[in-house]
Amino acid sequence: MRIEIEFISSNVLESKTDKEKMDFILNKIKDGKILVVEESLSSLDESKLIEATMNQIDEKFHGIEVSTLRESNVDGIREKVIRFLGGKTGGLTVIGPSKLIKKIKKEPQRISLLAEVREIRRVRKWK
Amino acid sequence: MPLSRLIKWFRSIFRRRKIIRLGLYGPPNAGKTTLANKISMDWTGEPVGKVSEIPHETREVQKKEMVVVRSGNKKIIMNILDMPGIATKIDYEDFMKFGMSKKDAQKRAKEATKGVIEAIKWLENVDTALVVMDSTKDPYTQVNITIIGNLEARGIPIIIVANKLDLPDSKPEWIEEAFPQHPVVELSALKGTHMDELYEAIAKYSR
Repeated sequence: MRIEIEFISSNVLESKTDKEKMDFILNKIKDGKILVVEESLSSLDESKLIEATMNQIDEKFHGIEVSTLRESNVDGIREKVIRFLGGKTGGLTVIGPSKLIKKIKKEPQRISLLAEVREIRRVRKWK
Repeated sequence: MPLSRLIKWFRSIFRRRKIIRLGLYGPPNAGKTTLANKISMDWTGEPVGKVSEIPHETREVQKKEMVVVRSGNKKIIMNILDMPGIATKIDYEDFMKFGMSKKDAQKRAKEATKGVIEAIKWLENVDTALVVMDSTKDPYTQVNITIIGNLEARGIPIIIVANKLDLPDSKPEWIEEAFPQHPVVELSALKGTHMDELYEAIAKYSR
């Protein structure tokens, strides 16, 4: 029973295009990892992530749980100006596979996450 | 007659601007279609779409055009756009819990994913948004925050609807605390209570 949490610097996503960013995140999520990104995704990025997720849902991958922590629950003027100038807004984003994350509870200054690994018992048949 | 055509063109723009595209957004099972039906029934006598307890019943944008709403001395003409619920996950097995076969559940899940994408794409094409939330549930979810953040980024007026006021667990004050920057209308779409307050808010805030 293992849960892998990967902490990612905001520099990693900075140089990527929107598509590369979404692919980078989703490839890791589909590998069963929980990501903690050192920046809060913008609302527009979140909607792009949801779109990209919907395009990849199939019998095995059922989607994501995502939560961002930022100063305000929406992008304020400060955040918009910082983004426009190419700066970092701070905060963080937690993203993981919905199969693994049982519950994600968001509060203005706190995110709590409950992950549960369902063990698949393999029964070996002896001849 | 270029002048008359120009006048006609200006008039058509003016007329088009007066029809408000009212988008109903929110997570699945918040009561968007129930509310769209209630608004449409109040003013046209016809419903917009089918309602179900199974999530993602609305998997395509449903429209009701030229709905004329009156509030006080204001008359608003609007196209109601009932959006599929926005979610970050869709598990076909959840539909099987409602007695659906695996094949039907997978088909519904596939359609639901397309519905979510369609709803997101429509964010750019609404003039005013009703963000419908289930007032018995914690409103501080990432889906609600993402929807509101996207609408704010586009400068679209937002009216939050604290729905399901008829249920004993309803706590609309949670919604007001979570999103103090937007008007909140508390109502029950199912029972049709406080609808006048919604029409007043639409008349006041929509553009």
